[in-house]
Amino acid sequence: MATTTDAAEPRELLTVNMGPQHPSTHGVLRLELTLDGEVVVKCRPVIGYLHTGIEKTFEAKTYVQGVVLTDRMDYLNPLGNNLAYALSIEKLMSCDIPPRATVLRVLLAELTRLASHLMFVGSVALDLGASSPFLYCWREREKILDFFEGISGVRMMTSFIRPGGLARDIEPPLLAQISTFIDAMPAYIDSYEGLLTGNPIFRERTEGIGLLPADEALALGVTGPALRGSGVALDIRKANPYCGYETYDFDVPTGTVGDCFDRYLVRVAEMRESVKLCRQTLDSLPSGAVQTSDRKVMPPPRAELAKSMEAVIHHFKLWTEGIRPPAGEAYVGVESPRGELGFYIVSDGTGRPIRVHERAPSFANLQALPRITEGGVVADVVACIASLDPIMGEVDR
Amino acid sequence: MAVEPVAPLGGLFEPELVSIGADGIPTVSVPLAELLDTIAKVRGPLQHSRFVDVTAVDRLSRENRFELVYLFYSMELRSWLRLKTRTDREAPSITALVPGANWFERELYDLFGIEFQGHPELRRIMLPDDWQGHPLRRTEPLGAEPVDFTVTRKVYGHDD
Repeated sequence: MATTTDAAEPRELLTVNMGPQHPSTHGVLRLELTLDGEVVVKCRPVIGYLHTGIEKTFEAKTYVQGVVLTDRMDYLNPLGNNLAYALSIEKLMSCDIPPRATVLRVLLAELTRLASHLMFVGSVALDLGASSPFLYCWREREKILDFFEGISGVRMMTSFIRPGGLARDIEPPLLAQISTFIDAMPAYIDSYEGLLTGNPIFRERTEGIGLLPADEALALGVTGPALRGSGVALDIRKANPYCGYETYDFDVPTGTVGDCFDRYLVRVAEMRESVKLCRQTLDSLPSGAVQTSDRKVMPPPRAELAKSMEAVIHHFKLWTEGIRPPAGEAYVGVESPRGELGFYIVSDGTGRPIRVHERAPSFANLQALPRITEGGVVADVVACIASLDPIMGEVDR
Repeated sequence: MAVEPVAPLGGLFEPELVSIGADGIPTVSVPLAELLDTIAKVRGPLQHSRFVDVTAVDRLSRENRFELVYLFYSMELRSWLRLKTRTDREAPSITALVPGANWFERELYDLFGIEFQGHPELRRIMLPDDWQGHPLRRTEPLGAEPVDFTVTRKVYGHDD
């Protein structure tokens, strides 16, 4: 940082790097900030620090192995990513999913959304200097991760939703625990709101900060809570329902002015909607199988292998070649906690895809960061990043 | 993929250009020269104004190997529309029409080496600026470290 005093230049601009190792950048986001005193003149996000070539790796994996990679893209929404990937392959294969699996998928996707928004509420408070909400949010998030451990054996990288259904059924005792937790959740959300929503310091730091008008949000490709905070009621779950979302009763909360506070309020309201959705799935859970009976997608049960030669052949083909969707392409967009998440999968009829592309909501949302930070002060950049809730694993892939 | 005219698209495009994919999204394939005009049509009369995504598929065996796949969404009709074109290296940038395509085109430049004409800042986005090659091309190997076993000496060519 060279400091020169030149009479011809009344204001000296200073360029500073924020990140890639900065606690508020939620991973490895680097911002090149050009500052005029405390005011941000220019903000240039630099990404790629977490690029691991996931889209290339997909091309060398079978379709089922690819599920594992989807967890690692948006690591706060593993089941939602599994779901989008599975739905896309099922579209290619025209494969039907049993009703129990569909309802459980909605339950899992909404639990993941709760966990992700809990992380958001905790981290936005932490970034703005309030450390206690983080601890309370983490307490509830741990419970959800414990459920994930109960169903899949893994807390975060679940790989539980597979093409053709679920990896296995969820046992009734665990469903009862989830039910108890869901009943208690609204009171927890009230307590977070008690700590933050009416908190004068929190409101001072977020109200009127990072304004994003609706038309600019749309032009920049922003989706999810960041777009709904600007007042555009676009939710893929409502607009283009998948997994039977049209049969559930839930609202799409929207903001009014599109500042950081609106984006916070939308996410908190979404947590309440997710609780409603979880309750409805638990109340309407049908019995039956959780995997499709299509033996080209899901392997036969173990018991069948001892009796049926056909089952042995299917088992062998699935374990050597994997799923072979017919040549073609499919894009399925779902509503992730961060916006429109879509998997575009191109198959050439073999056991490995020739292209898997993730339309990552964080990647598009992050493009709005210069728009909402420029003209503000440098201390508000932290609030702006937090309010977009980017996940770098998904941005960089 | 069945080639049949799609009701809202039938009037604007030749039926043989329009198809419906396995996912039910209408797909229009146009030559590269007509890309910008077609995007104007898609976003104007066809109401699919929200840009969702652009990506590429490397169809190595064909002429004009890169297939650019644009995806637009209509807030009114609540539907997606896919637009395809082919190129071997260059394509017009749509950032003037859609600012949100900026990073998507940079990513394609970085990972596929497709040069978008008129892009305001066509630099690498994922990989370091001094990186050689474009990893998502089908010609790029997946990446492996040559290991010096006797059985691999012939493969990697260091047989001394």
